[in-house]
Order: sequence, then structure tokens, then C-alpha cells
Amino acid sequence: MPRPGFVLEVDERTPPLLVHEGEGYRMQKFPLGTRVIYPPDSLPGIDDLNAAIKHALLNPMGDSAPLPDLLHAGMKLTIAVDDISIPLPPMITPDVRQRILEHVIELAARAGVDDLEIVVATALHRRMTAAEIRRMVGERVYRSFWPKALYNLDAEDTANMTIVGQTDHGETVQIQTRAAESDLIVYVNINLVAMDGGHKSVAVGLAGYESLKHHHNVNTMLHSKSYMDPREGHSAINDSVNRMGRLLKDNGVKIFQIETTMNADTFPSQLGFLNKREWEWSAKDQALMAGAKQANDLAPPRIRREFFRRIEAPYKVTGVNAGEVEAVHERTIENLHRQQLVEVQGQSDIAIFGIPYIGPYNVNSVLNPILVHCLGLGYLFNMYRNQPIVREGGVAILFHPVPWEFNTIHHPSYIDFFEEVLAETTDPKQIEATFEERYAKDPWYIHLYRTSHAYHGVHPFYMWYWGAHGRDHCGDVIFVGGEPKSVARLGYRRADSLRDALEMAKDTVGSGASITYFHAPPIMIADVK
Amino acid sequence: MSTRDELRELARGFRWGRRPLVPRSAEPYTEPHEDIGFPTDWARSKAGVAARRVILRGGMLPIVSTELSLRVYGTDHLEDVPGPVIFYSNHSSHLDATLIMCTLPERWQKKTGVGAARDYFFDVWWRQAFTALVYGGFPIDRGRGGQTAISKARELVDEGWSIVVFPEGTRSPDGHMQRFRHGASRLALELGVGLVPVAIIGAYQAMPKGRWWPRRGRPVVTMRYGEVLYPEGGETHQHLSTRMQQAVMQLFDEDRTDWFQALTRAERGETPSLAGPAGAGWRRTWEGSRPVPRRGRPQTWK
Repeated sequence: MPRPGFVLEVDERTPPLLVHEGEGYRMQKFPLGTRVIYPPDSLPGIDDLNAAIKHALLNPMGDSAPLPDLLHAGMKLTIAVDDISIPLPPMITPDVRQRILEHVIELAARAGVDDLEIVVATALHRRMTAAEIRRMVGERVYRSFWPKALYNLDAEDTANMTIVGQTDHGETVQIQTRAAESDLIVYVNINLVAMDGGHKSVAVGLAGYESLKHHHNVNTMLHSKSYMDPREGHSAINDSVNRMGRLLKDNGVKIFQIETTMNADTFPSQLGFLNKREWEWSAKDQALMAGAKQANDLAPPRIRREFFRRIEAPYKVTGVNAGEVEAVHERTIENLHRQQLVEVQGQSDIAIFGIPYIGPYNVNSVLNPILVHCLGLGYLFNMYRNQPIVREGGVAILFHPVPWEFNTIHHPSYIDFFEEVLAETTDPKQIEATFEERYAKDPWYIHLYRTSHAYHGVHPFYMWYWGAHGRDHCGDVIFVGGEPKSVARLGYRRADSLRDALEMAKDTVGSGASITYFHAPPIMIADVK
Repeated sequence: MSTRDELRELARGFRWGRRPLVPRSAEPYTEPHEDIGFPTDWARSKAGVAARRVILRGGMLPIVSTELSLRVYGTDHLEDVPGPVIFYSNHSSHLDATLIMCTLPERWQKKTGVGAARDYFFDVWWRQAFTALVYGGFPIDRGRGGQTAISKARELVDEGWSIVVFPEGTRSPDGHMQRFRHGASRLALELGVGLVPVAIIGAYQAMPKGRWWPRRGRPVVTMRYGEVLYPEGGETHQHLSTRMQQAVMQLFDEDRTDWFQALTRAERGETPSLAGPAGAGWRRTWEGSRPVPRRGRPQTWK
């Protein structure tokens, strides 16, 4: 049985520990007594994945019938799949979505289904390119369906978006018309983190701005403690999405949910040391690390980016579950926790996070400063259950160079958000009240979202809100190694080294502060007691 | 940081060329066993205390006084202190425990035991018996979390015994003070007892690691007892360890200068470090073994 995650206490025997910092990493000595949270070892993958998928489709959970019984000639079938934002890094091919799609399509073909469309559930994310889609769904699916029956969702195609109803909290539920009118939606999901999957798949993945604005807002985010803890009452965003999902069900939208979970094999074997605990590094691992670090530090930025872009995760599937949404998701979360949950005793004054090169919104792109904020104070900060790793009013120290750099194709509205909005204020509530609607309805951003590969105009706002809880909770945020101008624009402070950052943190938490380093990736959730 | 510096850091951190070590908290869990080792309670019985007094006053102290030029300061700090306490000092010689036990005022000496490394002092019967009898010793597991040792220490403190510990864990290889481990501070926090700093100056020069008898020529050894430190409310063990280390450094400074200068320098945060010089290993040993100068009038008869 793989070892569970654990909390190390740094002593004089502890070697320098690896800290991610964008497109690179450093070996960092931590003060004695620092707690370091390590994820559990990787679980073994399912040996016969095809058999597991078949078993899941034929033995569904909850009140759902087996998939073959739900398919018949003359029906309208829509298959929705998660987009490129998961898993991270993109997994080696064949992608698990391809494996599942092939099984589902095979069953549909045998049942005589003609009206079948596959929609990539991008919501307001950027459209995936044809090459990215081919890589994700495989050659056979791509050749059979692209581009007419295999496409990205267009949430701004108002003629093809339907308002299904309103929840008892007044939340408008809007999804793609085709999906709403289908006899069956089969949703193929990858559940990389606890906020993925469940009702979020359809109610968010196939939704547009009219629906998303009800939960992707500052108030909801401030009441999601944490959004990585989907238990009722812990995450306002999850509760809102659940209400929307239940409303879809009550309005006759029939969903057959297929959810998968991955193990923790995040990095390929040539970077295997990134998956291991430092004191267990062999001489080869140490040499690889030192060599790769030197090569990476010396490489021109373009080469470095290309190197990281090409990393493919050798994830193995640890669970495939299918059937009724809530029943499936409950099992999925159990599976996910088996891989990711680490028990931690109590909070600390200072939490340290190394921000890696990739987040959900910069695959094949640049992690711009807004995404750095989102990944650090949004995703990594929220990787907890019960209470944050850092106490209220404590200090978050993040490692990242925060370059003033944007991908003009993927993130055009981010550039304006950074230059215009953040130059005026960094207060999420003020930003929401003053700027959100203008960006969300800007015709140029909508045009780029629909025809190019741009994130929607409102997306940088969501990224900013995503970190609102972390920002609100921490007394100070310090970026180690961050570019001064971009860190200042984000409204944070910077330091040249961890030592300096800890010295600066004394202003907020005093001397003798307790420190916790969240050693991720691989992804984990700290269950802070 | 240059490539060379990075590699040097790695070599040091990963102990290239030496046996790799696993951080203590990452060591595999082993079932706790009931082995309490060599019994030592007899050495703290009335007879044991009396025997120890005879050995220390009648045997050890005369030897120490003959072989060393021993100076003791600061025992007056202990006069009004209610026991029990934890005595702790820098550790550079096998003389240290003997010096503390010999120089403690009688009230303290008869109710004080020394925490001694189980792997060294409790390996063969005769050494176990000697350690228990002469030092009132009880075994400490170095680097294993030491639950047995902590519970033993707790038991002793509950019975009103003071204990002597060396937070560096092992003797200094070069005479300079090493980083303090957190066992003593954790214990003090848990038990709420005071910590008495003791600076032992010159013991390394007199009898460094590897020697079994002091050097010839009555080398100067100075003992300085400091004021008792109490854990503060909400204080972390890391912070308390730092304060403990500071207190010993201040006593060293007091020895070099005077009480007032040491005090003012401590207030300004300018107490000289005892970490020793950076650079090649021989420099540290060279500086650490520099003889302690004799002060006062020169001897008439040499």
C-alpha cells in the first residue's frame, strides 16, 4: 500500500527542499522547525482500464440505468468533455477522455444513434485548437466528428444558449441549447481536484456568462472556505452549482456522468525526482536535478518554455465511475481523497507555496501575473479542508518570478485588466462593481472569444476573484524573486530570498513565527485539524 | 548564487560522500517497545544521593581542581530560584557534566540528574552504573523523538528533580557552539519549568573530543551560571531555543568583557556569535582550540 502523505519537521538532517518557481525550481534551505506537507505516494493505476470503463458504463451508480439501456435509435445524444484545463500537465496519450469516448461512441453506434455531437465544455475558457482536440480525443474520434459534430462550446452564441430556469436563490441557469434539448447528455470528466466534477460539469462547463455570474463573484468566493471542500455549507460556489444542477435535473435534463480520478504521477520519469521526497533522492536523482536545473537556468527563455510545454504527465487512472451525478461524484471525491488528503495538525503563522509553471488556464501559454495570483492565492491557498494552512492575518510567501508577460492570443483581456483595472484598484469588490460588466460585454473580447482562441473578457476578473478569499485571509503576501513592477501592480510585496521574506513577515506575525511549506505539486489537500 | 555555490550547498545538504541521513520526523515508524533499559532509579535513592555526594565532593572535585584552573561564577543566581529547573549548557567535552555536577551548590547537587545519551553512556553495564551513580544519569535517545527519555525526564521533574541537558545533542567537534535542538525547550514548555543557562568556557581546550584526561598545565576552565529563563505564554519551542542559545552566548560575552557590556550588547542585539568562523574546517578547530588566557597576577612559582 502506498505511503500516505505526511508532515515533515525540518531538522539539521533535512537536505535543501525543492521549491517550484514558474519555469524553474530552486533548492531551498528552510528554517529548522518548519513543517513541510508532502502528498501521499502515488496510488497504483487500474491495470485494465478498458475493462474498468466497460464495468462502469454497465454498472452505473445511483438511480441511473446502464448506458446501453439509455441509448436508442433516433435519439439526440450529446457528449460533453472537459477541456484542456485538466489534467495538469496534460497527460500522455491516449488521454483517458479518448478511452472513454471510444467506449461510449461504440455503444451509441451499436444502438443506432445518428444524432450525436461532442462538445468540449469550455464555458468561458478559450477554444481549444484542432490539434489540441485531436490529441485529447484521439485520431479516430477526431476524424469521425471534427469539425461539425465535435466542437468547442460557444457560450456567446446566444441563439444556441437556453435559460432552463431559476433556482430558489434567484440564480439563472443557462446552458447550451443542444445539451438542454438532448435526450441524454453523457459527460466525460477528469476529476483532478475536489472542485471539479459533480454538478459543476454540466452546470458550469456548458454554461454562459448569464449563469456563471451568479457564483463566479466576489461574495461567493469569500464564502467558499474552501472551494476545494465541496461538502454542503463549506463552499458557497459548490452549493450554488449544486442548486443549478438539481434544477437541470428537475427540468428533465438527463445526464449520465462519467468521472475519473488520477494518481499522483505528475512528472515523467526523466523528471522523476519531482515526484519524490528529497531525502529519498538517489545519486542519479540528485545528478538529474542539478543537471536539469543548470541547463534550465542557462537556457534561453524560449527553449525553457518549450521544454516545460512538452512535459506530459504519466498519470494513471485510479477510478472510473458512471451513473447519476451526485452518487458518482460522492465516490469520486472518496477516491480523490484517497490520493490527495493529508492530515495536518493546526495552522501556522506563515505558509510557503512554490508556484509551478502551469495552471489550468495557461496550457501551451504563459502564466501571466494574474494567473500567478490565481494559482497561488486561489488554487494553492485553497487546497485545504476545515481551515487554511495559514492562520487568519498570517503571511503567505510565494515563489515565482511573476514576469510582466502575457500571451496576446489567449489572454487579451488580461492585458487590459492588468494595465487598466489593477492600475486603479486591487480591491475585488470595487473591481467587480466598476469594471466587470464592461469587460464581460465588450464586443471585441466576445469576438476574440468566439473566433480566436481567447479567454472571455470576464475571465481575468474571475481569476482575480478566485484569489479573493486568500487575499482577504492573509495579513501579507510576499513573492520571493518576483519582478518588482508586476508584484507591485498586483498589490503585494516582494523579496529577493526566503530569508528576506521571513524577515519582512515579522512585521505582520512577529518573531518566532511557525512556518509551513506546502510541497506541491503533486496536488494534495491539507486536512487542517 | 553561482553554480559552484549551488553545488556546494547541495553537497552539504545531501551529504555527498557521506552516509545519507533521513530527517527524524521522516524515519519509519517503529512499534514502541517496553524496553526501559538499565534501571537508574536506585541512583536517586537516599543511599545513591549520599554515595554521589561522597564521590563528587571527595573524588571528582579534588581531581578537577587539581587538573584544571577552575573558576565558577554566577551560582548566586540560583539562590532564590525554586526548583526544579533544567540546567543546560554548551557541550564540547566529557568534562562538562562533571563540571556542572561538581560546581552546583549543594541544595541543587543532591537533587539533580544528568540526561546522558543512551547509545553512548548506557551501552555496557559498568558505564551505565557509573553514569547513574556519579551523575544521577538517565538515558536519552538522541534523535528518536525520545519518548521514553521525555517521560523519564517528566517523571523526574514531577518528583522535584532538576535535570541537566546538553541541547546541542553531542560534543562540539571544533569547540564552537552548535545549533540547539529543540528537546530541552519542548520539555520546558511542556513542564513549565525554568531553564538555567550555563556557559562552560575552556573545556574544549582542556579536554577536547578524543581525550580521556585533561591536558597538562592546568588549563583554565570557567563556569558561568546565568539567570533562569522561563517560557513565555504562547511561546514556540523554536523561539525558546533561540532565547536559550542567546543566553549562553551572552554568558560567553560576559566572560570576554564584563557583565554590563555583555548586557548592553545583548540589548542591542550585538552579542558575538559562537558559531565560529566560516571557511575551511581547520580554521574552526584552530580558533576553537586557542588557549583561554590566564588572567590576574602571574603565578610566582611555576
